[in-house]
Amino acid sequence: MILAAAIDDVSYAHPGADLPSLERVSIQIAAGEAVAILGPSGAGKTTLLALLDGRLRGWLGRVSVLGTQLDPDQRPPREQCADTGFIFQEFALVERSTVFRNVLNGRLGRMPCLRAAFGSPSTRDCEIARTALADCGIADLADRRVDSLSGGQRQRVAIARCLAQEPKLILADEPVSNLDPVRAVDILTLLTKVARARGAAILFSSHQPDLAGRFADRIVGLRSGSILFSIPAAQLSEDRTTALYRQEVSVSGVSLRAVN
Amino acid sequence: MRSRGLSGFFAGALVACAVLWSFATVDVELSRLMSAGPRMAGFIGRMIPPDPTVMGEIAKGSAETLRIAILGTLGAILLSIPLGILASETMVPPAVHRPARLMLAFIRAVPLILVAMLMVGAVGLGPLPGMIAVAIHATGMLAKFYAEAIDGVSRAPIEALESVGAGPLARLRFAIWPQMAPVVARDTIFRFELNLRESLILGIVGAGGIGFYIQTYVRSFQYDKAASVTLAVIVMVIAIEAFNVALRRRFA
Repeated sequence: MILAAAIDDVSYAHPGADLPSLERVSIQIAAGEAVAILGPSGAGKTTLLALLDGRLRGWLGRVSVLGTQLDPDQRPPREQCADTGFIFQEFALVERSTVFRNVLNGRLGRMPCLRAAFGSPSTRDCEIARTALADCGIADLADRRVDSLSGGQRQRVAIARCLAQEPKLILADEPVSNLDPVRAVDILTLLTKVARARGAAILFSSHQPDLAGRFADRIVGLRSGSILFSIPAAQLSEDRTTALYRQEVSVSGVSLRAVN
Repeated sequence: MRSRGLSGFFAGALVACAVLWSFATVDVELSRLMSAGPRMAGFIGRMIPPDPTVMGEIAKGSAETLRIAILGTLGAILLSIPLGILASETMVPPAVHRPARLMLAFIRAVPLILVAMLMVGAVGLGPLPGMIAVAIHATGMLAKFYAEAIDGVSRAPIEALESVGAGPLARLRFAIWPQMAPVVARDTIFRFELNLRESLILGIVGAGGIGFYIQTYVRSFQYDKAASVTLAVIVMVIAIEAFNVALRRRFA
């Protein structure tokens, strides 16, 4: 079976940073699996997702996504970019464009270069975009401009754009951090449902252990760039999360451990 | 507090010195201003009523000014696209955008009327030197505005389209341009308004447009005709501003 993603002994430091963001990380994601990454702020969750999206350069180790090795020195080719869908924490939508145009932008990696630049999507592209809108429950918002939408609606547009890519691996960076608890559940339900319906694997990061345990098959605990645990969702215990989020406070040279 | 009072005193003294120096060294006699009343009244009297027979000249001059402003703005846009890119901090390295910005600052520093005089010397009388002068002068500001529009674009949507697999042209078209377009439109209209206002006087140095008639009538003491042209200029400026306000509302 082809794995959705395999990271093998990868280390990475952001340019100019003293400490590495990822340190000897190894993780495998099976096809169709839903995996949640838990961890405190600065643990390296976004970095790990960007790595799989092919947007980082200069890492050490081996990474393969959907059966293809990534090159640490080069951007992946366009088709490969399109196979991996990324949902950004701050949505990263074009504010002044319509919802439909933003979702259609998800097709740009699938169109021939010239067709993409001239902005003439095929009927098939439009159909796929409309289906993505309908799946996200925002078909009626198609002609609205993104800058007139609420946070929850924007999140749905971002998900629809990702679905329009027809991705085989969906990476979502804290998809519910900007939403209230009810909408957070709605969005995660939607995300895991559409991923499952398309047979796509999904990897999402989160700050909320309860939601992660509810929607993921497996939980990966990331702390200071290292993997603390990788367990089935059912085995997520209070002790594990406490260990993951505990704070290290150092007072005048003495290192204390305070439970957060 | 003490030092602030002191610097305030010095600033006041400096201003006082400047005013006194201007009165003392230039041939500015207050007595002449006092006795100018009747002369001024006579001058204004000769402007009233404005002579309506110059409508033809006004129409011709206004049309020429409008053409100078339109073609000058077009020239400025064409020059500002490459120069705006060269002056943007996010598109090119400092070794390129620093000298480019310095050059634009130099261009901005030269008044339009001076550029126009140089161009009249270079290509002769008529609307052509006026148009070239407007294009050059306006580029100093417009290219800077374009550079700022490029630099003001948010990176996140560009990164998102990179992640989607969109090529550079598609990113320019669908992530960068939609963010820039309203700013570019607003700034270009603003510059067009300035170009039209500023080119009204270009005729005075022989660079074409309605200013030519103001100069001709004032020099030949036909103040009633000069008054008509002046009124026409005022009407045009108000019309330009109203038009611009209406346009700007569309791009808000």
